[in-house]
Amino acid sequence: MVKKTLDVPPAEELRQLLVRRAFLTRSAAGLGAAALAWLWEKELRASERGPTDPLPGLPHHPPRAKRVIFLYMSGGPSHLETFDYKPKLAELDGQPMPESFTKGQPIAQLQGQELRCLAPQFRFRQHGESGQWIADILPHTARIADRICIIRSMHTDQINHDPAHTVMNTGTSIPGRPSMGSWITYGLGTESEDLPGFVVLTSEGGRNPQPIASRQWSSGFLPGRYQGVQFFSQGDPVHYLRNPDGVDRAAQRSLVDAVHRLNQLRFGQTGNSEIQTRIAQYELAFRMQMSVPQLLDISDESPSTLERYGVIGPDGSFAYNCLLARRLAERGVRFIQLYHRGWDHHGDLVPYMQTCCRLCDGPSAALVEDLQQRGLLDETLVIWGGEFGRTPMFQGKGKLPGRDHHIRGFSMWLAGGGVKGGTSYGATDELGYFAVENPVHVHDLHATILYLLGIDHRRFTYRYQGLDFRLTGVEEARVVHEILA
Amino acid sequence: MSGEFRFSRIPNPMRRCARRVALFTATATFLAAGALAHDNVASARRLAYNRDVRPILSDKCFSCHGPDSAHRQADLRLDRAEDEGQVRGGHSVIEPGKPEESELWQRITSRDESERMPPPDSGKELSAEEIAILEEWIRQGAVYEPHWAYQAFRNHSLPEVSDREWCREPWDRFLMARWDDEQVEHAPEADRRTLARRLYLDLTGLPAPIDDVEAFVADERPDAYERLVDKLLASPHFGERMAVYWLDLVRYADTVGYHGDQEHAASPYRDYVIQAFNDNKPFDQFTREQLAGDLLPNRTEEQWVASCYNRILQTSHEGGVQIKEYLAKYLADRVRNLGSVWLGSTLACAECHNHKYDPFTQQDFYNFGAFFADVEDLMTFRGGDTSPTKREPEIEVLDRPVRWELQEIENRLQEVSTRITSDSESLTEQERNELLAEQKRLEACREVLRRTARRVMVTVSVEPRTIRVLPRGDWMDDSGPIAQPAFPEFLRCSFDRPPRNRLDLADWLTTPDHPLTARVFVNRIWALFFGEGLCPSLDDVGGQGLWPVHPELLDQLAVQFVEDGWDVKLLVRRIVLSSAYRQQSVASAQLQERDPANLWFARQTARRLPAEFIRDSALAVSGLLNRRIGGPPARPYQPEGYYALLNFPKRTYRPDRDANQYRRGVYMHWQRQFLHPMLKAFDAPQREECVAKRPVSNTPLAALTLLNDPTFVEAARVFAERIVRLGGASPGGRVTWAWREALGRSPSEEERAVLVALFQENLARYREQRDAAGRLVRVGLAPVATDLDAVELAAWTQVARAIFNLHEFLQRN
Repeated sequence: MVKKTLDVPPAEELRQLLVRRAFLTRSAAGLGAAALAWLWEKELRASERGPTDPLPGLPHHPPRAKRVIFLYMSGGPSHLETFDYKPKLAELDGQPMPESFTKGQPIAQLQGQELRCLAPQFRFRQHGESGQWIADILPHTARIADRICIIRSMHTDQINHDPAHTVMNTGTSIPGRPSMGSWITYGLGTESEDLPGFVVLTSEGGRNPQPIASRQWSSGFLPGRYQGVQFFSQGDPVHYLRNPDGVDRAAQRSLVDAVHRLNQLRFGQTGNSEIQTRIAQYELAFRMQMSVPQLLDISDESPSTLERYGVIGPDGSFAYNCLLARRLAERGVRFIQLYHRGWDHHGDLVPYMQTCCRLCDGPSAALVEDLQQRGLLDETLVIWGGEFGRTPMFQGKGKLPGRDHHIRGFSMWLAGGGVKGGTSYGATDELGYFAVENPVHVHDLHATILYLLGIDHRRFTYRYQGLDFRLTGVEEARVVHEILA
Repeated sequence: MSGEFRFSRIPNPMRRCARRVALFTATATFLAAGALAHDNVASARRLAYNRDVRPILSDKCFSCHGPDSAHRQADLRLDRAEDEGQVRGGHSVIEPGKPEESELWQRITSRDESERMPPPDSGKELSAEEIAILEEWIRQGAVYEPHWAYQAFRNHSLPEVSDREWCREPWDRFLMARWDDEQVEHAPEADRRTLARRLYLDLTGLPAPIDDVEAFVADERPDAYERLVDKLLASPHFGERMAVYWLDLVRYADTVGYHGDQEHAASPYRDYVIQAFNDNKPFDQFTREQLAGDLLPNRTEEQWVASCYNRILQTSHEGGVQIKEYLAKYLADRVRNLGSVWLGSTLACAECHNHKYDPFTQQDFYNFGAFFADVEDLMTFRGGDTSPTKREPEIEVLDRPVRWELQEIENRLQEVSTRITSDSESLTEQERNELLAEQKRLEACREVLRRTARRVMVTVSVEPRTIRVLPRGDWMDDSGPIAQPAFPEFLRCSFDRPPRNRLDLADWLTTPDHPLTARVFVNRIWALFFGEGLCPSLDDVGGQGLWPVHPELLDQLAVQFVEDGWDVKLLVRRIVLSSAYRQQSVASAQLQERDPANLWFARQTARRLPAEFIRDSALAVSGLLNRRIGGPPARPYQPEGYYALLNFPKRTYRPDRDANQYRRGVYMHWQRQFLHPMLKAFDAPQREECVAKRPVSNTPLAALTLLNDPTFVEAARVFAERIVRLGGASPGGRVTWAWREALGRSPSEEERAVLVALFQENLARYREQRDAAGRLVRVGLAPVATDLDAVELAAWTQVARAIFNLHEFLQRN
């Protein structure tokens, strides 16, 4: 019954579409009939579609992945202490950073300071059959070395956290653009009938957690129903999910039923189809009041699963969020983003890396393994990384050495959904400053993610203010075919 | 009748085209189109470049063959008449009158993929219809026109219409002429109840009190409608209503936006905007004060507060920001907003390159930026991670009524002290003591009032810094030419002095014959009252925007607006007094089919209220609403922990525990990064960038908000108390009373029965669950009625909640 009501077009959205397209009625002046019909067919279908239907014409090609789990290490983890092994930097420890690297480069907190090299703080070893170089601080990730593809040549445009996050999520630092999770759910819909298609979870632990703005999961100029929905670990998991004090489920049900009946009567008076949409949305809201608590109730998980993730309870930790990510994936949520805040290590790099890795390393590996065991890894793309990396240069904010923000080269890893495990791609120079071999810009990452989901980033556009916007922007972006399985 | 804007039967060649198109289009889609395009297939008119051709060329061709020289291919422009004679491939690009001899036509119809335009890898494709239009346009002589929005206003004679009597405002006739042409019936006038609710919501953002509705229904004076309009235009809530829209445009918020999203001092500016609309400040003056209030000769404090406009952009206090980079970001932000608010143009692309569709050059972008080069910004970078953060230059100001009050106190103090000193001999001991006591009291009052002062950021002009064009928008590249305050070449008006500063910028924008400012503003005001603009793309009147449905009407309103001295209330008055405005919003089957998007305005448009007015409605109906005008940001209930992701410093949200809890939505604390979930659920923008039109979503999160947000639950239980006290004795009578209070009409039998049943059911439920009833009627801060039975109150609370969740309650018809 519910599915049925959801098929009703959101009339207001439809009206907006019509307005956007209506110039054709006039510009065509009688000739535009067929074009108009074509647009109507296309866009009516687009706006009529239920939450689980893709945009007409999508996917463009057979997808390799159905969904994405983005483990977002917020603050900018050091590539030099995790995946980018630079023995030469150790040799230069304490020496001035060669000016040839830094001249004319944007610099964040080290502006005007003397720039000296800081040696990698952890030992690196090769792991797995693939022999991937991974630092000792990540023993669990080392265990899945053969399942992940490490990109060591990432680079981005913005050197401060907020704009860099915005680039990583929307492809530009200009506010107001949709995040990739919104783009993807807009394009593909979701597979879940009673959960949002794009869910955001957050945790913290490490150095002074950097703020994250809800702009990072905003739908920008895309319809509001594609925005990311943040699940909270304290209070209501979703805003206003709980009934008011003194109202039980039966009371809420009867109230919603009365509202439905009255709205139906109003529909009879006005014929406004938006009313049908509202009825459907109230139904979905009522169901979410059940489905979300069920999702969060992990009592059905085995002790061994909990132990593998390191979950103690529903505590909002990264471990708990990783477990939830799997549960969301199982329920068909399209885009799942986990932020862990704590990776901004301007000082005390070693102890803070130990904290962050203790909190994130095990659960990340457990998630990949768990997905694999359940047969979900092949269709789930897992991404691990932050908004940028950290300087090869020393920064002295704290008792022990730290590193500043760095955008010219850093590392991320991908696993599952069509990605070749056990591979490395790209490289930075000998000091870990510039991505010199096969550089991968954030736009290239976006193009690759979309490709794996069956979307051609060049053809995936949305008309806004007269322009055809796309996630990958106007500059050339390329799919990194070399890392695809 | 002016032929220019009328449809005429199409000439024969067009019919041929139409047939040709139909031939290579699938029959099924063609049939589907029949319902929409009606008899236009067999009828058309002479093509107009702006209306018919430019949209196609702009969308499909200009990005490579348009104004942007850096990316132009084959050195070919298609956006100017002077280029059409160029020769390519042995032919003129365009040979007027002869499509077959035009290279353009050859290329767009070529079967050879390597020849065909647009090239397949551009992602653009011309439809058969578009090709046919281009062909026909060349056949008709390939006449170019300047873009409509950049042309000078033209005077248009009023068209002849079928029913002149019906047209209350002369310009109603422009609309009717179209209806006559299309042979559609416009909607009848709405009934008085609907009109009352519509006018209240449109002009004040508040629901019509039932007594006012009844008085209007009963008012038999011929000018009853005008009287109501004038009363509402004079209401101080008019300014609040208009401010909700203006604040979206200028992206007003109470926090800095980037990184730590600390609070900044801006709320007096918000109050200035409200006051300006209430005072009916002429729009040219309003413009001048915001852009350049600090530069006005003998500027008043209010004018200086207005210049906060230049300061409410997003700023960052993140450690490690590079000043030069952020100065560049701020410059670009200001230019984008200027372009959106006053020019209705999207300038963002010109930060890095010449605009691809409109004639704005990259130089224009930075020339605009140079107007802001004197704005003191450097102090913004000082100051640590505190919230509220201090972003000098700031001043302390008092609310207008407080200033008046203070003035009176000062006057009286003066009097008192004069008497004490000069009349000291004639005063008795008692008189003297009384005067001294009064002096003390007055001084104490003065102290208290002075403490209500609020800080506000203002603009201070300093030595202008050098502005350069940034190649590809790169702030580190100093090689670009220097930019000076100057206006785009193509935007001509009678402003004729060399511009130097922001005041000149404001004067240029408000020059009576400036082609954009009045058109853009009038179009947006129209949309506030009709749901859609005369040019539907409210944010872009440029080449990629939509062709206005009634350009002549838009011109007419704009000219009149300027002639009326940029009188905003008069403009609004003219619009709401029109016959078009007073139509019903229910669409006839004919209109539903012929004009589903209501671009002809042959009916009103029903639409959901903006987020703020939904809140205001519930509070108003419950009786909780605090109607104070202006003041510091209000903090309603908000889910705990919502700001957990903020830092520098960590933030705890403390909801107001006094009357500030019940203030109107326009006063809600606007946290850019974490906008209040209620505002967000109903599509209020974060105000990072200009928003000229809010989207309208309909989501489960909105449903959850109305159902469970304590603001609405509290309003419901307080409304329930009123229902019990004032709604009579019987459940049916009470339902009717409540329904009328909330919706301005009586319920039908069926409607009443549904709510009576809901009441009975809940009465039974809460008799069994007395504890639960007690908890429900205690939601929120408002005092609990101890003299009423909690069970009964809880049952009526459920009824009130149902009413607040009705589609109709959220709707303006």
